[in-house]
Amino acid sequence: MKVVCTQEKFKKAIYSTERVVGKQITLPILENILLETEGGMLKFSATNLEIGVFLKIGAKVEKEGQITVPAKLLSSFVNNLPTDSTISLEAENQVLKVSSGSVEGSIKGLLAQDFPIIPEMEGNFLFSLNAQKMKESINRLIPCASLDATRPELSGISWIFSDSKVFLAATDSFRLAQQIIPIKKEQEQEYNLFVEKNNSLVVPANTLAEVFRVVGPETKEIKVSIEESQIFFQIDNIRIVSRLINGKYPEYKQIIPKQFATRAIVSKDELLRAVKIAGIFAKNKTGEVRFEIDSDGGQIMVYSKAEEVGDNKTVLQSQISGPKQEIIFNPRYIVDGVQTIPTERVVILVNDNASPAVLRMIEGSENKENLDYTYVVMPIKA
Amino acid sequence: MKNEELWQAALGDIELSISKANFITWFKNTSIISNENGRVVIGVPNGFAKEWLENKYNTYIYKALRSFQEDVREISCVIHNPQNNSSGEKAAERSQASSFNRDKAVESNLSASEPSQVQAGTQQSFDYISESNINPRYTFDNFIVGENNELARAACYAVSQNLGRIYNPLFIYGGVGLGKTHLLQSIGNEILRKDPKKRIKYMTSERFANELIDSIRNQTINEFKSSYQQIDLLIIDDIQFLAGKEKTQNEFFHIFNALYQINKQIVLSSDRPPRAIATLEERLRSRFEGGMIADVSSPDLETRMAILKAKLAEKSFYLEEDVVKFIAENIKNNIRELEGSLNRIMAACEFGQKAPDMELVKRTLSDLISSGKKKGVQQNHVVEAVANFFGIDKKDLINKGRKKEISRARQIAMYLMRKELNASYPGIGSVFGGRDHTTALHAYEKINRELETDSKLREDVEVLTEKIYEI
Repeated sequence: MKVVCTQEKFKKAIYSTERVVGKQITLPILENILLETEGGMLKFSATNLEIGVFLKIGAKVEKEGQITVPAKLLSSFVNNLPTDSTISLEAENQVLKVSSGSVEGSIKGLLAQDFPIIPEMEGNFLFSLNAQKMKESINRLIPCASLDATRPELSGISWIFSDSKVFLAATDSFRLAQQIIPIKKEQEQEYNLFVEKNNSLVVPANTLAEVFRVVGPETKEIKVSIEESQIFFQIDNIRIVSRLINGKYPEYKQIIPKQFATRAIVSKDELLRAVKIAGIFAKNKTGEVRFEIDSDGGQIMVYSKAEEVGDNKTVLQSQISGPKQEIIFNPRYIVDGVQTIPTERVVILVNDNASPAVLRMIEGSENKENLDYTYVVMPIKA
Repeated sequence: MKNEELWQAALGDIELSISKANFITWFKNTSIISNENGRVVIGVPNGFAKEWLENKYNTYIYKALRSFQEDVREISCVIHNPQNNSSGEKAAERSQASSFNRDKAVESNLSASEPSQVQAGTQQSFDYISESNINPRYTFDNFIVGENNELARAACYAVSQNLGRIYNPLFIYGGVGLGKTHLLQSIGNEILRKDPKKRIKYMTSERFANELIDSIRNQTINEFKSSYQQIDLLIIDDIQFLAGKEKTQNEFFHIFNALYQINKQIVLSSDRPPRAIATLEERLRSRFEGGMIADVSSPDLETRMAILKAKLAEKSFYLEEDVVKFIAENIKNNIRELEGSLNRIMAACEFGQKAPDMELVKRTLSDLISSGKKKGVQQNHVVEAVANFFGIDKKDLINKGRKKEISRARQIAMYLMRKELNASYPGIGSVFGGRDHTTALHAYEKINRELETDSKLREDVEVLTEKIYEI
């Protein structure tokens, strides 16, 4: 193999693929990136057998061929190269020679034939999503996904499809985040057929984290297809395939309350500060922070106390409707939830001190509640 | 050779020809899904393994299989997830029922009306369950009575009206998804409706065992015991899981006695009658049998239709009469499946904005009712299940022996093959050492006839039917 391409494209391709490679003791080739020429382009592939990634970049191919080399080594080498316009690669006898400007390196590789085959799509893309909106949403949901290995389905993000939207949700059974996102059908008939058969699936959270890491600010859309327990994403020139999590996601929609007794609108930054301070005084990780929502006084008191440490309180001005409430939360869950809210103001929705409470965004001067994003958190039982 | 044995043998061969790392990576969690007419389908855990086995290792697999079974011509791979079996589904449904299905308002009312044992300041999770564990969804009002469950329902209702005084203990048994849990929970709800102060505890035996183990570890065994001895109604679901857990049985025995002596009601359920639960201590068995025993069996067509109609009314959804009949005729064994298929149809309609006509229903349920049977179950599963059940050798079952016990078992196996797999009579005959098709026909008809009168046989066949699908 002999190839010349621009250094910029090469670096970007390595950056997009190298993170996927696994730390595999049993199969060392999984730590490698596969480089091969294909149709006058240079193709990069990497996989950890859960996720597979590949992409092609334009290059001047002087001699066809293929090789796999350790991803970490290649990436560190390339990242430290002095900026130059081009980089040339030459593979012979399982050694990859890389040269750019005045620097040259030889990297020992493994046989390309032993590299796993990354599954390819058979059909067409079913639908596409707005890349920026999706990236923002996934980053909101990932912190809620569970790390508990005994319930693997909770370690993923649930996708439930309807005619024109997808409901994304993550929960660790203490809190839950749901985001509704519009979709654009690529293949109307096939999409309808797919949804008719099976309108929900669970995608591993770490796959999604990976997918949306490669979404750049100029990426417009993400195309998606689902085939045979696998999901395929196309992001610009990058293709990602992941397994799906087998298992039934809990029927979470029923736990999002439809109505609320008390509605309190506060400044997001003030709320975040108050809960963070309360968290300092709340003992250890399972600390408690008490919210007293005083509808007559139009204020929320955020309060915490630990015998051996001390106590604190913050009073927040708030627009409140509905009866008084007193409710206790784990400060960590509230901080996680408030941090995902990009708007200046946030609404706290409460029924009573034993039912799930909800955080939502407030938009515009008319105090409009944004129903696309919902963060549900269970209180601590007093 | 059975698929499993064949695959193990083939793997033994393959292991020698490739490196250990490769072997572990690519052949972990693989199995033979089907093996018919020389076509072998291998189930693999993911797309990577599928690609690799089909493209790189196909010759190894082919050679290895050929050396054990000469007619192998074609090998293909499918992505297959072993969790998808029925027990997994049931567990998933159960955890779902106990975690997310609750009406929050009712739930907190329930827990408020009872002495709270929850320590101050525990983080609630969504699957936080009130102390009684009673799901308000299940009541006598929405339980559909048919011939199959008349007695059980009447007994449960009587118990709810007369706590601890008439049938104590009450023991309900029957197959999966036939409404045992519904009946049990209905008792709890009925009692709470009449007197919210009554203390009720609904437990699965598994949970009971887990709590017991926790209390032993935390040295709170006395609190554990006394917490049970203060309740008015104890409901233990799926008591058969106590089988083989001696310490748990022992503790349960004492709790049972303590409650029984002060006329507190105990209600139990199981998938089989007490005497059919293996390794259940004699003293427990005799106590279970000392009260009232009632069974629930599979619903007949009319009852299934009634159930569907009730579910439709509950969900305010409409289906044509012939569509209801079609579903009821095709989903036979299990009420949970019945409800599941209804949910699927509703989802399909809602999504496609289409009317639920016959065609849509057929298409939506196509993979559930492809000849009404689960895929992948084969004749040798039946032979094995029957042989295990009666404790005889598979060879004896197939060979010519005419000892009474063996020929009886053989007839049952033939009956099951016909009924569950729709196998042809000549086909059944050939499985059993080339017997004539009339022998198979005779066996089927004989067992079918006896089933109507012989309740012991009916139980055996029910248990066996489940066993077949477990293999």
